[in-house]
Amino acid sequence: MALLEVHKVTKDFGGLRANSDISFIMEKGELMGLIGPNGAGKTTLFNCISGLHSLTSGRIVLDGEDISDLKAHEVARRGLARTFQVYTASGDLSVEENVMVGCFMHNRSRARAKAKADEILSYLKLKDLSDYLVSELPVAAQKRVTMATALGTDPKLLLLDEVAAGLNPSEIEEILASIKHIHYELGVTVMLIEHVMELVMKISDRIIVLDSGQKIADGNPEEIARDPAVIKAYLGERYVKEHGGELG
Amino acid sequence: METIKNALDFSDFPRIDLIVAGLVLLFLLTFPVFPLSSFAMATMIQFMIFSIYGMGWNTIGGYGGQVDLGKAQYVGIGAYTTAVMLIRWDIPFWVSMPVGVCLAVGWSFIIGYPLFRLKGHYFAIATIATSLVLKDLFEVWDFVGAARGLEISPIIYQPPDFLRLIFKEDIYYYYVLLGFFLLGILYINWFRKSRLGFQLRCIKDNEDAARSLGINVHLAKVKTYAIATAFVSVMGSFHACYIKNIEPEDTMSLSISILIALMAMLGGAGSLWGPIIGAGILIPLKSYLKEWLGASAGLVGIDTIIYAIIIMLVSAFEPKGIWGIVEKIRRRKRK
Repeated sequence: MALLEVHKVTKDFGGLRANSDISFIMEKGELMGLIGPNGAGKTTLFNCISGLHSLTSGRIVLDGEDISDLKAHEVARRGLARTFQVYTASGDLSVEENVMVGCFMHNRSRARAKAKADEILSYLKLKDLSDYLVSELPVAAQKRVTMATALGTDPKLLLLDEVAAGLNPSEIEEILASIKHIHYELGVTVMLIEHVMELVMKISDRIIVLDSGQKIADGNPEEIARDPAVIKAYLGERYVKEHGGELG
Repeated sequence: METIKNALDFSDFPRIDLIVAGLVLLFLLTFPVFPLSSFAMATMIQFMIFSIYGMGWNTIGGYGGQVDLGKAQYVGIGAYTTAVMLIRWDIPFWVSMPVGVCLAVGWSFIIGYPLFRLKGHYFAIATIATSLVLKDLFEVWDFVGAARGLEISPIIYQPPDFLRLIFKEDIYYYYVLLGFFLLGILYINWFRKSRLGFQLRCIKDNEDAARSLGINVHLAKVKTYAIATAFVSVMGSFHACYIKNIEPEDTMSLSISILIALMAMLGGAGSLWGPIIGAGILIPLKSYLKEWLGASAGLVGIDTIIYAIIIMLVSAFEPKGIWGIVEKIRRRKRK
């Protein structure tokens, strides 16, 4: 059953078309990667889906409900959570308090929000850090805290914006394990933007590729790796001509 | 039930904080017993009034990070409601105070709704402007005595009058105020741990992130602005009964707004003890500066210069005020 339907979404910023006529359907339980060169419009698409940007045209349907005209907080309440590329978490709040902000969405009571936050923290193996301020933690741990906070809202669909950027290989393994946990054990549908190819290729069921605001490919990781349009987008026209479309 | 439990629960503070707070409370309870000058008594009353103003400001300004420099308009609304109702219709404080809160909160919705479309400095400037406009209106409005203001004459009442809050001795005002002071602390202690309190701290850091966590940012700000307003309006009503002579110039001027913000900013914005620490330093300073340097040495306006210096020092060196320094030292020790 389709969880997210993106239908001919277009987003203009003045004269710049950041997303052009993008359409795809995401099934419940999928783990999808969204890749593309810098400036391809990946984060813009995330912002459109999560309601932070209003659409220029097109429609977005979440779990059978049209969310195209809803504000970001209303979209969040319908089961869509996300993390941010640059933003990490509220630096003045402890790890536990940060996660509680997410948990407060569905729990008015402090005691219940706290209990839920503790559960999520132990699930993502962050329990030992609960009393630290987020600003005191290394970037990798901060990124896992933002994932925990997003999980606090009980999402049906989780959008992760470059959670592995700037991390070292062992930290990437940790993040990978957390994403797998969230996807396979909690059953959350996940879409992730990622530049770290090992990570996307390894865990995605399906990958969508954007280039200059347009969807240029859609398929499983093997298909994507062989797709000439994708190779061209990443490596440039001349490289493809010289090497006959094979990855060097 | 859970609300009351949370309001009374101070267990997340280190023990030393609670000991100091207990000693301060003991001092406040026993202060009037000591034979002190009426000047000291008046200073203590001002200290508590401004602590409560600061606590109110701290909700939106400290926890929410929305620098509001127009709180004086709500002091005015509270004070005038109580004074007008008492003088014209002989309605006692305990009725006029809630009416004043309703009027002030209603007004805060009317101006808060559009004002919170603005951000940062623009919001601060807009709050100043609305406050000054209201002050100007009161200065020409005959119903409330225009620029002459209103005077509550204590002669027609029989003090001590607990219903109208008309007393001869300051000690009565002192203990009524102490009650408000303690209630204020309990409320803020609940607020900082409440859903709204958490949402606000998240908004302060990043509004887009707050939105994506299901927080209606605009509504949360407007609600908190109303809470801050209620605090200020209650004290405005009290101020009218205590001072008995109110005029737009000394209840609604810009310097009152700035002083209210300064309590929390100096003591520590976004912390429970901040506004109390700020008022504990600034109010005695203000009284004595006025008394000694102002009246005796003829240096009128020296207090304003000192506030300006304090604002600059705080924003340059420690934006989280005195309490921010304490917390920094503690964190360093823990590591």
